[in-house]
Amino acid sequence: MGPIRIEPQKALDDALKLQQKLSAGAQTLRSLDPVTFGVTPKEAVYKDDKVTLYRFKGERAPTQKTPLLICYALVNTPYMVDLQDDRSLVKNLLAQGQDVYLIDWGYPDGSDKYLTLDDYINGYLRRCVDFLRKSHGVDAINLLGICQGGAFSLCFSSIYPDKVKNLVTMVTPVDFHTPDNMLSHWVQDLDVDLFVDTLGNIPADLMNYCYLTLKPMRLNQQKYVGLVDILDNKTELENFLRMEKWIFDSPDQAGEAFRQFIKDFYQGNKLLKGGLSIGDKRVDLKNISAPVLNIFAEQDHLVPPAASRALKDAVGSSDYSQIAFKGGHIGIYVSGRAQREVPPAIHEWLAKRS
Amino acid sequence: MSNSAQDWMNQWQALAQRYWDGWKSQGVTPPAGFGKLDANAPWQAALDQWSQLFGKGNSQSDVVDRVTANAKSYVSLMQSMLNSSLGQGGDGSAAAWTEALRNGFNIPGMDPAMWNNPLGTNFRDMAGQGAKGFEQLMAEFSRGVGPFKQEMLSGLGMPAFGLAREHQERWQALGTALVEYQEQTNRYNTLILKSSQQGFERFQSKLAEREEPGRQLDSVRAVYDLWIDSAEEAYGEIALSDEFRKVYGAMVNAQMRVRSLMQLEVEQQTRQLGIPTRTELKGVEKSVQELRRNLKNTQEAGSIDLAGEIAALRAEVAALKQQLADARPAAGKPAESAPVASKPAAGKPAAADAGTAAPTKKTKR
Repeated sequence: MGPIRIEPQKALDDALKLQQKLSAGAQTLRSLDPVTFGVTPKEAVYKDDKVTLYRFKGERAPTQKTPLLICYALVNTPYMVDLQDDRSLVKNLLAQGQDVYLIDWGYPDGSDKYLTLDDYINGYLRRCVDFLRKSHGVDAINLLGICQGGAFSLCFSSIYPDKVKNLVTMVTPVDFHTPDNMLSHWVQDLDVDLFVDTLGNIPADLMNYCYLTLKPMRLNQQKYVGLVDILDNKTELENFLRMEKWIFDSPDQAGEAFRQFIKDFYQGNKLLKGGLSIGDKRVDLKNISAPVLNIFAEQDHLVPPAASRALKDAVGSSDYSQIAFKGGHIGIYVSGRAQREVPPAIHEWLAKRS
Repeated sequence: MSNSAQDWMNQWQALAQRYWDGWKSQGVTPPAGFGKLDANAPWQAALDQWSQLFGKGNSQSDVVDRVTANAKSYVSLMQSMLNSSLGQGGDGSAAAWTEALRNGFNIPGMDPAMWNNPLGTNFRDMAGQGAKGFEQLMAEFSRGVGPFKQEMLSGLGMPAFGLAREHQERWQALGTALVEYQEQTNRYNTLILKSSQQGFERFQSKLAEREEPGRQLDSVRAVYDLWIDSAEEAYGEIALSDEFRKVYGAMVNAQMRVRSLMQLEVEQQTRQLGIPTRTELKGVEKSVQELRRNLKNTQEAGSIDLAGEIAALRAEVAALKQQLADARPAAGKPAESAPVASKPAAGKPAAADAGTAAPTKKTKR
């Protein structure tokens, strides 16, 4: 018996269905409003060059005294955490009673080419944290770092342990040399100095191209064939386009910060192995004394789970917890399961340590 | 023509007619001559016409372009599968279906260099506009230099002398870098082609597993999804190999050398015209960043000093007030006669009078 039994009539029906979807799409695509993201009301409370610190406004006043600062990665915009009304980590954290702040790193241009990790971590991030400590009258805040922002948060918590009350890391790479880390594998033989000296800031298009080539057939072909299925559904199509906008509306990377991140984190694996300095300050994960909640995604193709799991043995804190989420690097923010599971888990963990 | 062949032709003609009838009702016309002779007119051609309904330059055109590009592959695959399901193109084995799939990706009109290489096609399609410009430049270079590579390389090694020797050395370096980049790109493309081929092999192997009863695939989409899984698995294995790491690194490094030397050439030209160069701009940008950093450090340090000084002054004022308050009931004398422990620093504002000073608790905030 052969492996495929496609009835000609069924195949033709599928082809005709595809036609209908495309034709309906001709109408739907014309009726779409411009795509936007970032839905929760927010107020800019602090600015520092292109960096903006936002405070989100929930439907009710926060019940938690200690502010929760979200530190996102430099790659992509931070609005993945507040993509749309029914897919918002921020909204759900607010609903739990958290007082949520977010650092928007902005879009670096040529004048930011020489921003270093020292500028980002000991400069912008520290000043945002100090602003919150002062404005809330607290010695330490709760810090939630995401992906590269999680790595930044680990560095920060190591350098300034007294300023972090609780640390939550999400999809954060700690061991950059796990064998399944394709991105890391690809940059090992890269001449980073030549790369940065030539390009200056690293263009967002180049970064996105690189991410797409991690799973080229799935991300650049199958996804768009699947898009035909929802061409006649305005809501789903808007959701799809919103995600597309988020994926491709990305900031360029400040060259110097990129250089150091690739050299020290990806090539040197210094965050885990030791020997990392941010500016003139040494980073030692054993110096992190705050309670740590480490959340990672089991199907993460950008930050493999093993890369995050390494934190458990590396961190100095005696209060360490971890959550393995059933989903991917993006699904951990936007999937229905994520909305139900992640914010309550974070809130509950923080509340016990407030 | 045998009866079976005639039957197939009739069946196929009928299906194809219905397919194009469906499109006609949507305002898309079948290719010229269809219905008379050419039942095999490529179905994906309809997608091009569909996409033209949107025009260009509107906000949806990117989406339409993406959908069209990928749906064309899918529809071509669909046509190829349907053809096979009617008994044409093989014995129904996993190998025959794999061949049908392979043919489905070879869309008429595409670059022959990309035949049997869906992954390579995919990479070419996804290149961003910036990368595309560079790739096009390199493609032109490859076409021009390819046949004369050896001669060119020997020429690039010739010693330079005379007034223009510095310029000649730069041009030789650029030429060498271009050739090197072409070589590294070829190595990379060879791995991508290998990945495509291994994708087909994996697909055939996965298909063979579906031959047992109850596990057959019954839709084109299921076949397509199995192909995607196969292609990704094959690519993933190659992309994590040591060979790929070296080739990838070498290709990127080679491209950066080309870009870097091109920038140098542009600088030579712009300097001649009195236009600020990239190097000069980088120098300025670096200085700006250093100034910005120093300014912030100074401001913060100043702010900390100032805060400390204000706190000290406030404490002093509070102490003075306390002394005044303590002195009044006891001595019953005017406040100015009370002893003063210390004075505000010269040039600093005098302490506010007791009646308007803020409470100590508040001033400590």
